[in-house]
Amino acid sequence: MDQPPFEKLLIANRGEIAVRIQRTCRELGIETVAVYSEADRDALHVRYANQAVCLGGPSPADSYLRGERILEAARATGAQAIHPGFGFLAENADFARAVEDAGLAFVGPPATAMEVMGDKLASRAAMIAAGVPVVPGTDAVADAAAAAEAAAGIGYPVMLKASAGGGGKGIRVVRDGDAMRSAFTTASGEAQAAFGDGRMYVEKFLECPRHVEIQVLGDAHGNLVHVGERECSIQRRHQKLIEETPSPVIDEETRERMGAAAVAAARAVDYRSAGTVEFLWSQGEFYFLEMNTRIQVEHAITEMCYGVDLIEQMIRVAAGGRLELPQPMRPRGHAIEVRLNAEDPDHGFRPSLGTIDSLRLPGGPGVRVDSGAYGGMEITPHYDSMIAKLVVHGGDREQARRRMVRALQELHVGGVRTSAGLALRVLRTEAFRSGDYDTGFLETWMESGESAAREFADDLAEVAALAAVLYRQQEPLRRPPQQASAGGLSPWVQAGRRAQHGRDA
Amino acid sequence: MRYFLASDGRDFEIEVLSADGDHCRLRLADGRECEASFRAVDGSQHALLVDGRAYAVSIEPESGTDQDLRVAIAGESFRVSVEDERERAASALAGPAGARPEVVKAAMPGVLVAVPVAVGDRIEAGQPVAVLEAMKMQNEVVSEHGGVVAEVLAAAGDTVDAGQALVRLEPPAEG
Repeated sequence: MDQPPFEKLLIANRGEIAVRIQRTCRELGIETVAVYSEADRDALHVRYANQAVCLGGPSPADSYLRGERILEAARATGAQAIHPGFGFLAENADFARAVEDAGLAFVGPPATAMEVMGDKLASRAAMIAAGVPVVPGTDAVADAAAAAEAAAGIGYPVMLKASAGGGGKGIRVVRDGDAMRSAFTTASGEAQAAFGDGRMYVEKFLECPRHVEIQVLGDAHGNLVHVGERECSIQRRHQKLIEETPSPVIDEETRERMGAAAVAAARAVDYRSAGTVEFLWSQGEFYFLEMNTRIQVEHAITEMCYGVDLIEQMIRVAAGGRLELPQPMRPRGHAIEVRLNAEDPDHGFRPSLGTIDSLRLPGGPGVRVDSGAYGGMEITPHYDSMIAKLVVHGGDREQARRRMVRALQELHVGGVRTSAGLALRVLRTEAFRSGDYDTGFLETWMESGESAAREFADDLAEVAALAAVLYRQQEPLRRPPQQASAGGLSPWVQAGRRAQHGRDA
Repeated sequence: MRYFLASDGRDFEIEVLSADGDHCRLRLADGRECEASFRAVDGSQHALLVDGRAYAVSIEPESGTDQDLRVAIAGESFRVSVEDERERAASALAGPAGARPEVVKAAMPGVLVAVPVAVGDRIEAGQPVAVLEAMKMQNEVVSEHGGVVAEVLAAAGDTVDAGQALVRLEPPAEG
């Protein structure tokens, strides 16, 4: 076996992505150091590691966001590199810089690339300079008349957006010049009230946009390649639920054009490591949205279709290795991912906290489960609700779709609600079957209350009723069901009190 | 014993004709009879056979009672309410749903951001009585049946546990 790129690597993350990174490290012969919060002592990423260091209390600010403490852990254990995963410190340029200043390898891009791409205006300017298509738009406009003039140049419909915007405030779709004046007044007023800044800019409104992103990989020797696209339009409030590759709307010629634009975007910031260039695709045209300077949640579908381990590539280039991938990379078959979130789609997607008291994971041909979940796991309110990812690979799109349906039928997570049932229903819709969907689909479809045909011939509602009778019939054989904890405090509340009143109280 | 159920928005009436260990003979309202075998396997997971058709079924009590179950089969999840003859007779005496006192509880642990109701307020079914922050998200806590606020049991800023009572409602006075 080759010499491993590092002898020991620290993973500054938790949950499924920490486990995912550990798996590649094991295959490469790299020892791993896990870091964890007091709430994660039993977590899989701690159990799968070679060494583990406690960072502090359950809250991310007391644990996974403590860069100094993580660097200390790396020094104490002799780790040579730090992989940040996604979230937490993954896109924190100061942390990346501190890691390199400490003489360790940061398994991610240069801090300067994070800074440019993390700033909306700076990244837009850099993309325009690099010739990457951006959504046509303006800088801040003085008033409604200036906005109308700019809109006429761009072509209606346009989006009127607050410079300081966020959370949907201060945004209007304007379909013609007559509507501009009142839209400008109300949106600017809204922005002034919400952000203390009423400046507005104008941007082209894209009809039925799709979210299509390109995976890029770069090394420290100036090699930059793309590894195809991922279609991520099945989303709700910008939270992706289902992703697939290839995208149903991207042909080989478009893939090469988007890939070249993504590589140009990455080159403009001297990118190294794995990154994702997000585009909005509308009616055959694509526009730069932003670049995520980290490994992405949905990277696994690219791995399944392109036969490449992206985490391995990140680690190798962080050690100074050269990218050695055949070019161009071509997709083989089709891959789909479903995110398994501990949340309740029937009740406004509220977090579903509690204990996973029963867990049955799918398996069989073409099924991959990247998971941090285990039976007995406590879902706490401290961290992201995503507990696992289901990924399938099939010879073609329909085989992959049916395979995912089958995998979701095998899956069972007891004790908490998850997004699995919703994903199953989406996979059965005509829109998903045909591939004709956009970023507005999921919310519109859920509001319509329209359901899709089941693939099961049996009357499952009746079977459920029969099962309920049999369950009740056998009641005397069981102990009484556990009452919801009325008196005893949950571990979460106890942990919160401990944090407030001192650890040993 | 006869059972009255609602599953996936449909009503069912099922009678247990005979039971022998895991095996039962059942009759549905339309007169169909079937032979079932039902075994607990692992926690909430059960192995069900109905006239030789096989199902992997998971059953969990919702809100701690055996009258309100969540039944999952092949990735589909059904909320099933079930009453046996005796329970049905008892609930018939208690009067129609909606005219019952209700205690609105926190569905998850978190911190109360707001409790925008006061004693005496008239609350409609589905109306929020509290806003709870958990996992950095604000979630509305709604009344299922509605009524008049009789008691407010928690205040904004309180840390609450799952299942903790927040607001007690009484049926509105007639007229």
